[in-house]
Amino acid sequence: MTAQPTARHRATSRTGYENPALWRAGGFRSQVRVLAARSLRTAFGDRRLVFFGLLQPIVLLLLFSQVFSGVGNLPGVAAYQGYVNFLVPATLVNIAMTTAMSSGAGLLAEVYSGFVGRLRCLPIRLFSVLMARTIADAARLAVQLLVTLVASVAFLGFRPAGGVLGVAAALLLTLVVGWCLSWLFIAIATWLRKAETLQAVSFIVMFPLMFGSSAYMPLDTMPVWMRVVSSVNPVTYAIDATRGLALDRPSGWAIPATLGIAVAAALGGGVMSARNFRRAT
Amino acid sequence: MTGIPLHQAAITVSGLAKRYGEVTALADVSLVVETGTVLGVLGHNGAGKTTLIDVLSTRAKPSAGHARVCGFDVVRDGHQVRRRIGVTGQFAGVDDGLSGRDNLVLVARLLGANGHQARARARDLIDVFGLGDAAERPAKTYSGGMRRRLDLAAGLVGSPQVLFLDEPTTGLDPMSRTGLWEMVERLSSNGTTVVLTTQYLEEADRLADHIVVLGLGRVTVSGTPAQLKARLGERTATISFGSELATRRALDALSKLGMPATTSGFVLGVALTGPADLAVLVRTLDSAGAPLKDLTVKEPTLDDVYLSLHRTREVLR
Repeated sequence: MTAQPTARHRATSRTGYENPALWRAGGFRSQVRVLAARSLRTAFGDRRLVFFGLLQPIVLLLLFSQVFSGVGNLPGVAAYQGYVNFLVPATLVNIAMTTAMSSGAGLLAEVYSGFVGRLRCLPIRLFSVLMARTIADAARLAVQLLVTLVASVAFLGFRPAGGVLGVAAALLLTLVVGWCLSWLFIAIATWLRKAETLQAVSFIVMFPLMFGSSAYMPLDTMPVWMRVVSSVNPVTYAIDATRGLALDRPSGWAIPATLGIAVAAALGGGVMSARNFRRAT
Repeated sequence: MTGIPLHQAAITVSGLAKRYGEVTALADVSLVVETGTVLGVLGHNGAGKTTLIDVLSTRAKPSAGHARVCGFDVVRDGHQVRRRIGVTGQFAGVDDGLSGRDNLVLVARLLGANGHQARARARDLIDVFGLGDAAERPAKTYSGGMRRRLDLAAGLVGSPQVLFLDEPTTGLDPMSRTGLWEMVERLSSNGTTVVLTTQYLEEADRLADHIVVLGLGRVTVSGTPAQLKARLGERTATISFGSELATRRALDALSKLGMPATTSGFVLGVALTGPADLAVLVRTLDSAGAPLKDLTVKEPTLDDVYLSLHRTREVLR
């Protein structure tokens, strides 16, 4: 506060809006708002990137639903009345995971471009940089999920028994999972500090988690050891929970378990990334 | 009157050290920068220039010693320091996806300006830095010189009392370089304290009131540009002759004059110690009947400063 007289003195010697001495530093929330808005502008600024980004999961969905359509006749899937109904909720979770992964990669890209270096020299709370990124990525995720859902209903014959409310709840749950996971990947990114290593680690984490779950095949068809792995895989809980909500099926403890694990991941990831992403080391 | 009482130094550094594991980036640096002056920090790659800037701009914690900027300790009062400094790096810290204008608005908003204030400040800086034509284009389309100008503008959004410029002209073409120099001169004449790292003696010579040369994480020498060059650099003339006779005559005449020369074939190297020496040299050679075929003069460079520093150390050892 010792600097206040200074600011006032300089304010009288100049007039007009452009005078920085008249500015009053905003708090954490305004920093997050400004930075998140900026991330979204950058993310949606490149129209081609937006288009192909949105198209990507729809292409995958189309491919998987055709290639694996025979799975729809297996016991355990037949009740879903079509493989698409089995597949779409899993794809929502998959999208949440990939978007969370891109949070970490995006942060590292900005560390390398020097932009984070600029932010480090500013009188702001550095945690706002991370918070803004996860919020902006969650907003991006929401758009992605919505577009994918609409496309699945319109073109792939997705008929969720849960109706609009059930699907909305599934979307919300996936959004929470995605936001929480982005903290985990940001923690990993700030720990590894290298884009290539992050990518390698992400794939090692992503593929077993995604395929070693109930996402594409019913657990009953898997070898025993894989069934054991899949049934403790948190991604299985998330997918079962999303299916439960969207398709109006019993999901047991899957919803509270998913939320519990996601929040724990967010807290752990948040603490770890705050520690890794300090200003001065 | 101002944030810093008059006669208080803008920056004081004492016994500063920074180690990264086994690597010692700064061994022991002490220096003072008076308010409103320009300090040039010279040194080769790895001399510790960037580390010094990192510590002073609160991005790195010193391993030992203290540093104060605008009266605030860089470790204890980092936030107060950040409110008073601007930093422009060797690698421009701008958001490639945003336009030049939006980059400046963003920084202003983060510094607490509201939308109106931020846009007004951005407009001002765009005018001053001649970015008007490109203001709405994404920064990724900018040329190297324009990026550097935008980066400098972003560093100035908050009207900093102290500005750190880390190799601001490395990789710039001569015109952009001159333009950037003029901006630094303008800022300095308005009372901004500037710390500038550079590898170019010419740059430090033109901009700095005071120079420190860093080597292996220590201040190897410091002084005004004139003092430094007088102590460490030499202008040398290289003269070639057409014949052995002319060369011998020239050598005789020069030794009578007390100007030491080195020979290699028909070529002489002479150290010039004052501005008049070149004229004296030519006149002497002419009247000695030693017609010269070619003459070139080399200004002292940073390399000479290093070489002479190195030689001094050898002698002391």
